[in-house]
Amino acid sequence: METKYDGSLNLRSFFCFSGGLVSLDSLRTMKQLTIIRKIILENLKKDFVPFPINKKLCTKWADGLNIPEKGETVLYTSYMYQLAGIFKSYEALLPKIGALGGIQSLGSLGKLLVRPDRKDMERAGKILAGISQMLKDSSLDVCYLYEDEPYSGALLLELGMIREFREYGNRLSKFFEARGISRIITVDPHTLNALTRLREMSVLKVELNSYLDVIDMRRTTGLNKTYVLHDSCLYARYLGRRAVIREKLSQAGIELKEDNIVTGHDTSMCCGAPVGAVNRELSEKIAQARSSALLKVSDSILVACPLCYQNLAAFADDVKDIMEVIV
Amino acid sequence: MEKAINNNIPTVRTILENHKDLKAMADEVRRVKLNVLDNLDYYIDQTVKSVEKTGGTAHVAKTKGDAIRIVTELVGKRNNIILSKSNVALEVGVREHLTSIGKDVWETDLGEYILQIAEDSPSHIVAPALHFTKEQVGQLLNRNLDRAINENSTHEQMVASVREFLLSKYLKAEVGITGVNAVAADTGSVALLENEGNIRMVTILPSIHIAITGIDKIVPSLKDAMLETMVQSGYGGLYPPSYINITSGPSSTADIEFKRVVPATGPREFHLILLDNGRTIANEDPELREALLCIKCGRCYFSCPVYRALGKDWVKPPYGGPTGAMWAAIIDRDTFPANLCTHSGGCKEVCPVGINIPRVLEHIKEMSLGGAPATRSSPIEDTKSN
Repeated sequence: METKYDGSLNLRSFFCFSGGLVSLDSLRTMKQLTIIRKIILENLKKDFVPFPINKKLCTKWADGLNIPEKGETVLYTSYMYQLAGIFKSYEALLPKIGALGGIQSLGSLGKLLVRPDRKDMERAGKILAGISQMLKDSSLDVCYLYEDEPYSGALLLELGMIREFREYGNRLSKFFEARGISRIITVDPHTLNALTRLREMSVLKVELNSYLDVIDMRRTTGLNKTYVLHDSCLYARYLGRRAVIREKLSQAGIELKEDNIVTGHDTSMCCGAPVGAVNRELSEKIAQARSSALLKVSDSILVACPLCYQNLAAFADDVKDIMEVIV
Repeated sequence: MEKAINNNIPTVRTILENHKDLKAMADEVRRVKLNVLDNLDYYIDQTVKSVEKTGGTAHVAKTKGDAIRIVTELVGKRNNIILSKSNVALEVGVREHLTSIGKDVWETDLGEYILQIAEDSPSHIVAPALHFTKEQVGQLLNRNLDRAINENSTHEQMVASVREFLLSKYLKAEVGITGVNAVAADTGSVALLENEGNIRMVTILPSIHIAITGIDKIVPSLKDAMLETMVQSGYGGLYPPSYINITSGPSSTADIEFKRVVPATGPREFHLILLDNGRTIANEDPELREALLCIKCGRCYFSCPVYRALGKDWVKPPYGGPTGAMWAAIIDRDTFPANLCTHSGGCKEVCPVGINIPRVLEHIKEMSLGGAPATRSSPIEDTKSN
């Protein structure tokens, strides 16, 4: 029988229920990690994606945009915007998966399919279409791989599966080479970080850019808001994009409010998303603390990462991706 | 904790802004510590010989059990023991052991004293009782030390009350046990950094001074040891330090015909215990060895979202925060704390000695998958041939 989960989680309710308590059961956590690592690896081996997903739904955003399937420069979503909400749902499922008895049940887990939230998917589609349009407006011709697009492998890296990440990276590299792709434009920090690491490992040879590096900004009007920017840890402290994002936002006429500690280069905090698969309670406790700190600076929060959005939007009302305010 | 963070972060920034030479000193500390790690056996041997030249005794303890046995033998039948804050003593469990065999043992660092009477563990490497409010400390002192102190007492009244109690313990103490901030291999000297003045008492008043530390605390020279204490002080947010103590062997005098006599006014015996407890194995792992460069300033704690969420519950003391997540893998082979890292990267940005902590934790995550750490090839020979 196919197990389904409706994909909607009310994190605020959950947090109130758990009272912010974090269970640190190392045995349970390590067992859960073993299972999730196996699931991700099996799915990547089989289908180039970490979890069972509806690829058709994930590429729907490009319908009617006439983005070619072939080209040397690819707009690479790695399903991050489309799947950010689903990641959260899988986090909720993980303890249940663990309770199923671990690796013996892996075969049946292949049937697990989390349905994406319709609003989440529409929002992701608008953001990706916006990025696509801005690249076009910046005279950059890109292709899109539609349902052939592979996931970047970022989860392998972030879960410490370095050997597997490298091996998967080799597969990715061959895939891109076979497609004649020489330049990749990423849309999120986790993908850019993963591919950057593959380049450091001399696994990937292609040229890499974030869309933020290459889009020309146009001035937006009528916002009348001062935002606080929640930096993606990866963009700000690993990938050197902290100033780039601020410059782009400034060119677009977006006013940011800074705080020495809350938005400081070495003191701004994580949204908690990367630890969600390991310990959801901890992830949410970090998200709540981060949201609370950001809200003391401004009621309106900007993010540049779909995972940051998911975690922070659970605890703050006005959270927007930067693409939702500069388009 | 928020108060402490909001106090400490701007303070350290101001210190670093006003004393720009601290950055260069930190770079130098990294360089010399890497040199020691590349030649660890050589520097351990040199340190042992140098301590003996000063009239002290050096002991190399492979395990925590070895360290406990050495401490127990040195203490012998003596009963009155005072401690200054030592992470390695906590790692080994010195106080718990000595207390369990009936010794009268007292922590003299105020934070550690608070933890002792609360039967609690440290939440921060520099400020171990950070998780207590003033009111809670007042209640603790009321129950355990001084009925005149309560939650409404001032900070000053609380400190004065503990001071009076500890002074009586200093005067009776037969053995003083300290940690070490840095050990100079060339002179056998130990450098100790403090603000309270308790370490001076612990190192001078009892007839036996036992300093216990890890082999990772060895630096090539006395100058390097001074540098390391200054860097710890600056990046820890307490600069300039009230005191830096240098101890080279037991007390002595040559005031009569230049004949050296031991002891003089201070201790008659000085012992240095150098603990391994997983450090040598870590040094053989090219990625994990980076953690051995840590100078334990505690700055990374406040830049870490996991520490801010979990506090001392994240990692088994004494080492906590991001550095503790690394050190759990070294001293306990515990890879679980690293798996809670969110790779936010703030720790890497603020580390004075440039440890890429998230990358080390990523490696420990990989270790938790069961892979054996890679082995370096003849590091000593490599360096010496350069």
